[in-house]
Amino acid sequence: MASFRAYYLAARNTWDETLTYRLNFAVWRLRVFLSLISTYFLWLVLLPKGENIAGYNQSSMLTYIVGGGIVYSIVLSTRVAAVSDDIVQGNLSNYLLRPVNYIVYYFFKDFGDKGMNLFFSFFEISLIFILLRPPFYIQTNLLFIFGFFLSIILAIVINFYLNMLLSFVGFFSSEAWAPRFIFFIILGFFSGTIFPLDILPSQIYSFLKLLPFLYLIYFPMKIYLGQIHMQEVFSGLLISLIWSVGLYFITNFLWNKGLHLYSAQGR
Amino acid sequence: MKIKKYIKIWLRYTAGTSQIAFESRTGAAIFIIGKILRFVFFLLFIVVIFSKTKTVAGYSLWQMIFFFLTFNLVDTLPQFLLRDVYRFRGQIINGYFDHTLLKPVSPLFKSLFGGSDIFDFFIMIFLIVMLIIGVEHLGGVSSLNIFLYILLIINAFIIALSFHIFVLCLGILTTEVDNAIMLYRDLTQMGRFPVDIYREPLKSIITFVIPIGIMMTIPAKVMLGVFNIQIIIVSFGIGILIFMLSVLLWRYSLTKYSSASS
Repeated sequence: MASFRAYYLAARNTWDETLTYRLNFAVWRLRVFLSLISTYFLWLVLLPKGENIAGYNQSSMLTYIVGGGIVYSIVLSTRVAAVSDDIVQGNLSNYLLRPVNYIVYYFFKDFGDKGMNLFFSFFEISLIFILLRPPFYIQTNLLFIFGFFLSIILAIVINFYLNMLLSFVGFFSSEAWAPRFIFFIILGFFSGTIFPLDILPSQIYSFLKLLPFLYLIYFPMKIYLGQIHMQEVFSGLLISLIWSVGLYFITNFLWNKGLHLYSAQGR
Repeated sequence: MKIKKYIKIWLRYTAGTSQIAFESRTGAAIFIIGKILRFVFFLLFIVVIFSKTKTVAGYSLWQMIFFFLTFNLVDTLPQFLLRDVYRFRGQIINGYFDHTLLKPVSPLFKSLFGGSDIFDFFIMIFLIVMLIIGVEHLGGVSSLNIFLYILLIINAFIIALSFHIFVLCLGILTTEVDNAIMLYRDLTQMGRFPVDIYREPLKSIITFVIPIGIMMTIPAKVMLGVFNIQIIIVSFGIGILIFMLSVLLWRYSLTKYSSASS
């Protein structure tokens, strides 16, 4: 088994890789920033000062959108999409020969990626604060703050395993891009990046509570805003934990099954 | 004669790329379902917003849906016809562009129209049906409105085409950026709603500097009957100007192509 240093180097290499293609990364961040700013302006119009939509006033909604931008950078940034290419193109063989756990290796690569995205998102959010001065809600209740951070950790785990499972499609089909495409569309909507999911009709919202997507952006931000009872925080964290553990076992099961099918095609 | 020749070539290219696209029927089905899902999700978002409020920035539900439908049309048409632009950077890096330059076909035509996306053709049909339903719900739409709308959509396509040419030029002049076309797509996402809703200076930037307003908001406003003739003339003027600039830049970029990768 590889030492922690090997995994630390994997995370650091991700930084170096990103910095090699600086302009590409800058354009990527600009894309994220534009998406955030357009959603911000949209809500600024949809929810003028003094008005209220489904329990959200302008301050809480803009906090949700801007804060959600930071959570997005931490939770949803990932390098795991490359795993399906490794499998389909046969590059996985290179990793299987190394004294590293492939899944853990990618977990640490993701950390490097998240660190880089978080670092830059702070500059972007600062820019929003300087230029637009949004009415940002500051949470002071330590329990909510603790729940917020815990929910983010669980969201990172859920997102990692969901992406890993999607990449394992490569073991069974060379067309791994199609499920990923539909996954991103579902994720973009049902994680709550455009709007808080509780403004949806209650039947849809109740159904979404059973799926993992809601726990990636919406749930952490809802805790941050302190708009849910402590009991709901605990039940949400428990569901997140169940999803994390469940996805961990499914991922390991499919990894072992996939390795039996893997033929290093393309090598 | 030349147009006939190029239509024939385009049909050949499209037949080839369509055959490749349908190699995996499951993948094709998932792709089309995904695109329709994305459309339906956002439509749901608009409907939910209007279930909580009567108007948004003075627009009714069906007016807002019409803006969204026009955005989708202007967004999808270039994706259908100009899909090869997404592959252009790769062709520069692996030297395939040398091969394009040697062919008895305009390299600009090949780089733009060399691989139309058949999946988006189905989405286009779906959108046109939705637009017809939208027009019925708007009510009071005259033939002049429809005629001007079609002209402005063609103008929007010319602007989109010009931006795609700029991206090709960027691919030749600097091989580092492969997100440029996606950046264009992200910017145009602001056109899902009328640009009036954005505050200054963003509103002016996305109306005239990056003419999202001209591409997406003004055609829809013409259909709603909210327009003046000056804005329409300016829209066509900007369309022609951007197109001319893009062709000039393309010619300049070709002189800088070094064929370094081959």
